[in-house]
Amino acid sequence: MRPAASILLLTTATGFGFGLLAWLGAYAALGLLPPEAPALLIAGIALALILASVGLLASVFHLERKERAWRAFTQWRSSWLSREGVAAVLIYPLAIALGVAFLRDAQSLWTRLLGAATLVGSLGTVYCTAMIYASLKPVRQWHNAHTAPDYLLYALFSGAVLFAALRTAALGAAGPMASVAALMAALACFAKCAYWRHIDRQGPLATLASAIGLPKGTAKALDAPHFSENYILRQMGFVIARRHAARLRRLALGVGFALPLVLEVLAGLPVVPLTSTLLALGCAAVGLLIERWLFFGEATHVAALYYGRPV
Amino acid sequence: MTMLPERAPGAKKLGLVIDLDTCVGCHACAVNCKEWNTGGEAAILPDYDKYGPQPDGVWFNRIHSYETEEGGCSRTVNLPRSCLHCEDALCVTVCPTGASYKRLEDGIVLVDTDKCIGCQLCAWACPYGARELDEKAGVMRKCTLCIDRIYDENLPAAEREPACVATCPSRARHFGDLADPQSEVSKLVKERGGVDLLSDLGYRPTNKYLPPRRATIPSAPAEAPSHDGKGLGAALLKLLDKALSR
Repeated sequence: MRPAASILLLTTATGFGFGLLAWLGAYAALGLLPPEAPALLIAGIALALILASVGLLASVFHLERKERAWRAFTQWRSSWLSREGVAAVLIYPLAIALGVAFLRDAQSLWTRLLGAATLVGSLGTVYCTAMIYASLKPVRQWHNAHTAPDYLLYALFSGAVLFAALRTAALGAAGPMASVAALMAALACFAKCAYWRHIDRQGPLATLASAIGLPKGTAKALDAPHFSENYILRQMGFVIARRHAARLRRLALGVGFALPLVLEVLAGLPVVPLTSTLLALGCAAVGLLIERWLFFGEATHVAALYYGRPV
Repeated sequence: MTMLPERAPGAKKLGLVIDLDTCVGCHACAVNCKEWNTGGEAAILPDYDKYGPQPDGVWFNRIHSYETEEGGCSRTVNLPRSCLHCEDALCVTVCPTGASYKRLEDGIVLVDTDKCIGCQLCAWACPYGARELDEKAGVMRKCTLCIDRIYDENLPAAEREPACVATCPSRARHFGDLADPQSEVSKLVKERGGVDLLSDLGYRPTNKYLPPRRATIPSAPAEAPSHDGKGLGAALLKLLDKALSR
């Protein structure tokens, strides 16, 4: 599948934003946010909403008819894309209410309840995003049990790295967030390896013979309907050389997960905590963009079979 | 509304039956489809780089040719590929705007181009590659089963069929109600063992394909080079072969 820049930005930026919001919500729900430093929560909520907005705006740029984008909120009964839109919009008032409740009384029942609601809402939005891809039956690399939990894990990982950097900037130390971020990096790394192992061992979804209704025989493509690339081939016939994919996978694991893991451990010791957490944040962002590019670039679509392309 | 309509069992199910035995791969159906739909009720079907090196455009119907082999007999099979108007149309349920819908009355899957935002998720959801983006209007386009022909009472009754069916010179395309067991198309499917494309994916397409009839003349086995020659004759032949293959 063609990795469009707008979708890469959407899924990674909202991952950082909603991931951070999930951690802020969890901290507020447990009453762990220090009430003497309200700036941490307020700056966190602001940053999270800015990142989410950047992602959502990027997704609007993916649309051919941007002026009709409002229509995407209407079909939440059947469409995960519509549900994502509705959930993403509902998060804003929730997060702002959490900030207000925290400023009034950091330990109140309202703060805790709104924290829990923010946690559930942000993870729910990420889940909707993941299900857009996981529900597409023609793409075997997406339509599997890995996609949804993986997206949640990457959002929690990116949010943890961002929260650790923010907490260090505000309070001088990452506190427990350094260990949490390191743990999330390890889990995300493990999940990514498990996902790659899964898609590498998966057989093709269908054969060309079954695609043309002759499942008993064998078939090979003789003549294509047209000589130049068309919309279907540009979108769904995207093929990445195995050699490049292997190199990018190593890069994603190293930069995206291994380096942030080491840096968060350093920050937790604490060795130059601010530099470490900021570097970890940068590495995670670059690594996750590569990871997301691969999520699209390595995905194959059954329709490409008709043109004799590998799926 | 992009929920699939709850259609009563036996409700009218309009679709095509395509005979892979008699399709000669002439592309006439694709050309007539393009011709009708670019001048029809809806907007034109755009072309890009028409006379340039990479001509491209929106077509609802595309004809592939394959070399197939079954039971030692190989043959060329031409496969016209268009929207199959599936019963479980994922392209409809993924649509966030309600632009993509399946008609309650006859099961035809359509796009309301006034509502489409061009997110292209429906094209990703279709395993048959039947939906193409109109890059000029920024909306998704697809086969309408010539809805502006089949219900047009100004046309003589015999012409109220999709353009692709009307033009097929080898009569490989048939149009009718596949829910009615007495219809000509249903009888054809029953007689010839009509099949679904990619049936394992569970989209339950309405359009059916009639598999090629069994070939009875086995193909000649592919020639294999002989290496078992000995003696002067074989050596001479080898020399000759070497000289000629230079």
